Amino acid sequence: MMEKKRVPMREQPVEDRIHNFDEVPLGFSAEEAVAEAKRCLQCANPPCMDHCPVLVDVKKFVNEIAEHRFRDAYETLKTSNPIPSIAGRVCPQENQCEGVCTLGRVGEPINIGKLESFIGDWAMDNDVEEPLDIVERPEKVAVIGSGPSGISCSVDLRKHGYRVTIYEALHKPGGVLQYGIPEFRLPKHIVDRELGYLEKLGVAINLNRIVGLNVSFEEILDEFDAVFVCTGAGAPRFMRIRGEELNGVYSANEFLIRTNLMKAYMFPEEYDTPIVVGRKVAVIGAGNVAMDAARCALRYGAETHLLYRRTRTEAPARAEEFEHAVQEGVIFRELVNPIKINGRDGWVESLDLVRMVLGEPDISGRRRPLPFKGSEFREKFDTVIEAIGTMPNRLFLERAEGLEVNKWGGIQVDENLQTGIPGVFAGGDSISGGATVIQALGEGRTAAQSIHRYLSGKN
Amino acid sequence: MSKFRITEKSDLNSQDYLIEVEAPQVAERLRPGQFVVLMTHEKGERIPMSVQKAEDGRITMFIMRLGKTSLELNDYQVGDSFYQVIGPMGNAFPIQRYGTVVWCSDLVCGHAENYAYCEALHRVEGNHVISIQTFPTKDDVYSEEELRSVSDEYYVTTIDGSYGVKGHYIDVLRNLLRERKIDLVLGCGEIKMLKEMADLTRQHGVQARSVLRQIMVDATGMCGACRVFIDGAMKLTCIDGPLFDAHKVNFDEVINRLGMFKKPEGMAKEAYLQSREDP
Repeated sequence: MMEKKRVPMREQPVEDRIHNFDEVPLGFSAEEAVAEAKRCLQCANPPCMDHCPVLVDVKKFVNEIAEHRFRDAYETLKTSNPIPSIAGRVCPQENQCEGVCTLGRVGEPINIGKLESFIGDWAMDNDVEEPLDIVERPEKVAVIGSGPSGISCSVDLRKHGYRVTIYEALHKPGGVLQYGIPEFRLPKHIVDRELGYLEKLGVAINLNRIVGLNVSFEEILDEFDAVFVCTGAGAPRFMRIRGEELNGVYSANEFLIRTNLMKAYMFPEEYDTPIVVGRKVAVIGAGNVAMDAARCALRYGAETHLLYRRTRTEAPARAEEFEHAVQEGVIFRELVNPIKINGRDGWVESLDLVRMVLGEPDISGRRRPLPFKGSEFREKFDTVIEAIGTMPNRLFLERAEGLEVNKWGGIQVDENLQTGIPGVFAGGDSISGGATVIQALGEGRTAAQSIHRYLSGKN
Repeated sequence: MSKFRITEKSDLNSQDYLIEVEAPQVAERLRPGQFVVLMTHEKGERIPMSVQKAEDGRITMFIMRLGKTSLELNDYQVGDSFYQVIGPMGNAFPIQRYGTVVWCSDLVCGHAENYAYCEALHRVEGNHVISIQTFPTKDDVYSEEELRSVSDEYYVTTIDGSYGVKGHYIDVLRNLLRERKIDLVLGCGEIKMLKEMADLTRQHGVQARSVLRQIMVDATGMCGACRVFIDGAMKLTCIDGPLFDAHKVNFDEVINRLGMFKKPEGMAKEAYLQSREDP
């Protein structure tokens, strides 16, 4: 008998969670996970695996959960995804595995994401480790950046036996997982534990090492046999409208770094980094970062408006994040765009906005938003958070001689993720300019294969 | 990895003090113009700091007793360790022949930069280095001997006239610009005085640069908190600066942005002082 409905995911009640930064979904119990896994049809030709950027064998691991073989499920997951607890929480499953799930045609697709994080968490809680048999090799590989693609590349290379050293600019590892994604979506103890796995494997992580500043790219090239550049897309984009110099205007990056990395929500009692959030906040954009920023602003006690120039249909945010944001009281306003930030005494006082209409589709396939002439209006806001995207950080790019940059500001690579410099590969957001965690994980794995080929062919 | 142990600590005057800390990886690479990010403890802020000297694996910072962190720093003693000293950050200033260079400072970070730059510029043949420091009063003066030793000409001014020239560095600079050919003026300290310095040098057609000390979080180009507008174009103090053409800086915006966290910083300071009173 086919069960059309998902096993419901228990969540922190809205009225509680808007006052804390704790994780919102409470996760499956073992019984719930088994029940959810048993819904799987075990398709003869499962589409889910093909739609996973790292090719997780979904059918197999879900079946193992259904049979209560959690350890086997963990090993299945780990062969293709080094960080299941993280990916299960942040992947846009509705566009990938769950989006093509056969069950989705007649009912709700299997909750693959939550099953994945269930297994990852279960393994952590029970100190389960996959059996490892590393045959050491002499070659040394440098990985620049400790975000998702750096993690997956390091893990795969280390399993091949290479000596891997990660260089991380910040004082904590994890890249966007650490500074970008908030605690209520991805608890940092999960990030720390998943990263602990790297150290168990024997990957060296050098924190506070900023390639281009306190270690030069040339030194890295001299010291290592191959390099993987995965410096992410950590630089904020600004709208470049008038008023961005005002106090009360943040890039989403600043707002989230203060909140997630520096824990400004525990200021001043526990942490020292402050944040200023007004009574009424405008978050510009509708991607995951915009949702994250809006939900943080809400937790700081602000009336929070998400202003988006297109409509809900075009919004790039993950479905769960959008739903959570709206449930929590974020006011989503579509077809509206800021044209100017007005200030008083140096602080944000209001936004000049214009209503938008959707025109013909643009190159992204989404209908192009156009300003509706004469619809300009002014509205009071105290804080403006710009979440309109990020780009690769030029700190590294400007100081890495020989690396070519493409027209989007990302590093130019070939189909094997090799750059113009022999032995130097690149992946993740530093080539794409901003995508998903899982895509970055996938590129990290591809790069590891290319690096392995490069190094083993060399000798 | 070094533990960032404090090797020396002393008062410069009643408000400012000096901390020397072991940070070999930073000291080895730091050049004049660059700065460091200091984290006192794991939950602390990432604070950009000017460096006066970097030698023998140690760096020397000048710090003012101002906010919570600098008060807390004040409680650290020789032998204690910091959580992190990260850097060097920012761009190094090209040390080359500029001709007659004037360096002006009237605040703690400026005095540290003043020494760091002059020490390097002074060693280049053909440079005539003039260093000017400003303090409120005689008792506040520090670094005089050190700066004399790395400059060709040195002036100290006090606002109340109790020591050196009466007035501000701007007064000495005005005379210098009137009397002779100056090739480059550099400065760091109070923004409103840097603005005056910029106006004055502009009138004389003399190049001027100022070190900006904007609020930063990561200091690696990620947050955009330290954005300034140079000739209308957005630049980040951390990775594009911290030295900028003073004639192109919008100083009013710079001053305004420095005030963004005044309120919570005041709160933190109060809370900290309170916690020290009733342990």
